[in-house]
Amino acid sequence: MLPLKIENLAVTFPGLVAPVLSIGTLEISAGSHVALTGGSGSGKSTLINIIAGLERIRAGKVLWGSQNLADLSEGRRDRWRAENIGLVMQDFHLFPGLSALENILLPARLSRVANAELVKRAHALFETVGLKRPEQHIETMSRGEMQRVAIARALLRKPGVIIADEPTASLDLESGEAVGDLLLSVAADAGSTLIIASHDQRLVERLGRRLSLKSGRIIGDVPTGEIAA
Amino acid sequence: MIRFILADLRRLWLGGAVVILLVALATALGVAVTLQERSLRLGSARAADKFDLVVGAPGSETQLILSSIFLQAAPLPLVEGSVLTKLAADPRVSWAAPVGFGDSFAGYPIIGTTTSLISGTTTGFSEGKMFALEGEAVLGAAVDLSIGAEIKPMHGTAETGGHTHAGPAYKVVGKLQPTGTPWDRAILVPIQAVWHVHGLGADHGHHEEHEGEHHDADGHDHSAEGEAHHDDADVHAEGASGHPDTAAHAQEAQQQGQKYAFALGAASSKHVEEDHHGSIDADTPIVETFGASTPGLPAILVKPKTIADAYRLRQEYRSGSTLGVFPGEVLTGLYATLGDAKMVLSAVAAGSQGLVAAALVLVTVIHVGQRRRQIGALRAFGAPRSSVFLIVWLELFLLVALGVGIGFLVGLGAAHVGAQMFTAKSGVILPVGFTREDGRLALILLGFAGVLAAVPALLAYRQSPAQALRA
Repeated sequence: MLPLKIENLAVTFPGLVAPVLSIGTLEISAGSHVALTGGSGSGKSTLINIIAGLERIRAGKVLWGSQNLADLSEGRRDRWRAENIGLVMQDFHLFPGLSALENILLPARLSRVANAELVKRAHALFETVGLKRPEQHIETMSRGEMQRVAIARALLRKPGVIIADEPTASLDLESGEAVGDLLLSVAADAGSTLIIASHDQRLVERLGRRLSLKSGRIIGDVPTGEIAA
Repeated sequence: MIRFILADLRRLWLGGAVVILLVALATALGVAVTLQERSLRLGSARAADKFDLVVGAPGSETQLILSSIFLQAAPLPLVEGSVLTKLAADPRVSWAAPVGFGDSFAGYPIIGTTTSLISGTTTGFSEGKMFALEGEAVLGAAVDLSIGAEIKPMHGTAETGGHTHAGPAYKVVGKLQPTGTPWDRAILVPIQAVWHVHGLGADHGHHEEHEGEHHDADGHDHSAEGEAHHDDADVHAEGASGHPDTAAHAQEAQQQGQKYAFALGAASSKHVEEDHHGSIDADTPIVETFGASTPGLPAILVKPKTIADAYRLRQEYRSGSTLGVFPGEVLTGLYATLGDAKMVLSAVAAGSQGLVAAALVLVTVIHVGQRRRQIGALRAFGAPRSSVFLIVWLELFLLVALGVGIGFLVGLGAAHVGAQMFTAKSGVILPVGFTREDGRLALILLGFAGVLAAVPALLAYRQSPAQALRA
């Protein structure tokens, strides 16, 4: 539900002359579904990190709604991200030793915001993503199931933005497709802005807009048309 | 959060167990040293505090105390019997009792003394009664013999090549309540009996089969020195009769013996008669008034009536032919030595603790390095930095605290075992226990652990989540 506006963003790493990412202006409207594509080294992951608030912004503005991430301290950025962004990663980053449900609730618990309502929501989300045994330990699940748990975790605090970094890359075709379906449907249900970085052509085609990156610059920005903003 | 930490620790249980083990061992070492030293100090002080003043012949104060209070048998120079007579008659003295030693039975020292010492230093009998006849004996609480047992004194101890006195035997008539002192391991007999067993002039030899051997075993270094400071009269007496060819030396020894030897005091004519047999007259009632004919004594334990009297008596008996000593002052000197030894041990313990601390830092730094991704992920998904800090800190702190706790218990256990072994050997009960000082040590250790655990926690805190995830 949050629109993104990027102005004059430049990300440089020490030791590299050329910026790894340089974006003059970019706008993504609230509730739209956008695919990010590009080879490795294209700056795709850097862009994901920047818009998710995982990386400090040294030059330029990244506005989510009216909030400029560049103005936030690291701690505030962490808090802002926890409240507004649902992250889904290629490697799931689930924590072994805990049950699926505990994994969904862990970030909220660590932020001391988990209340009875949120626990109820966790149970509901668990069903939404199509899983059955909330007490199952995470290490006994299949990769497809794990990614579903990760998606439920991302959705727990009703984020305005869902950012997924290669969510299907480590899954087999079938699970990947199911996960793609799931991401699209939950984002549509909640009206969240959805940004997915992916190589998965089938997934990319199902999003409303495709941004192509190369050497840190946007070289293509085309509507793909299936689901409009 | 606690569940997350527990899940994490379960996953890393092996490493965690090693950390706990390391910390526990290092802590236990330090704790055991501290406890053992303290209990040794307390135990020996308690063992000595029943004895206010010890009077002996001039010589080593430490040896006098070790022999008379801790019953570590060693030949002592003798103080004249008349000193006892004088002390017993002194109005400032509530009781004064001779201590005669040198014999043993089954590894227990046989101590000749008086009924007043026994009633003055013990809380009473657990069984039986006080000796009343010369052939009766009373057991310390830790002596593993029963009433009615027969005791054949052995001269010296079996380990030092002693021999059994041919004739005499005591009959056990009573067993004392425990006192927590080395006297618990002693067999107490009337001093008169000890005199009778040994009570001969230099010209009377013991008629014992192994006297030559005994001389060889015990007396050779004195022969080399040509002096018999710390030997006892028997040896020389035996030497004289057993080796006529060394008569000249024996003659000299006899003269020394007259002055130093254990049982060489003038004896009554009756004694002399019996001395030929080296035996006791088992049925003679004991006499505890010591006249001018009292033989020389290794030590006299004195109970003064007041503290002021104690100081005055010590002063009076510190000149010329006697040496008055407060056990406390000798122990203080010994504690200083003990303290030095403790310092060395403590330094070793501290060194090992330092090593463990360094190892822990290394382990945790590596550990945090390996967990960068996990920590980064926690933050990426919205865990606040304070939570991440707390998780890493708590995990390590829990391990170390557990190690410290176990270490304290192991140290306590080790000190107990050590104390029991010591008690079995010496009879001194060592009170092992924690004091406020140990509480402080525990707090210091835990505080240190807290700071140590903060190092990796800070490392975890510092990295940006994106960096951590890339790792």
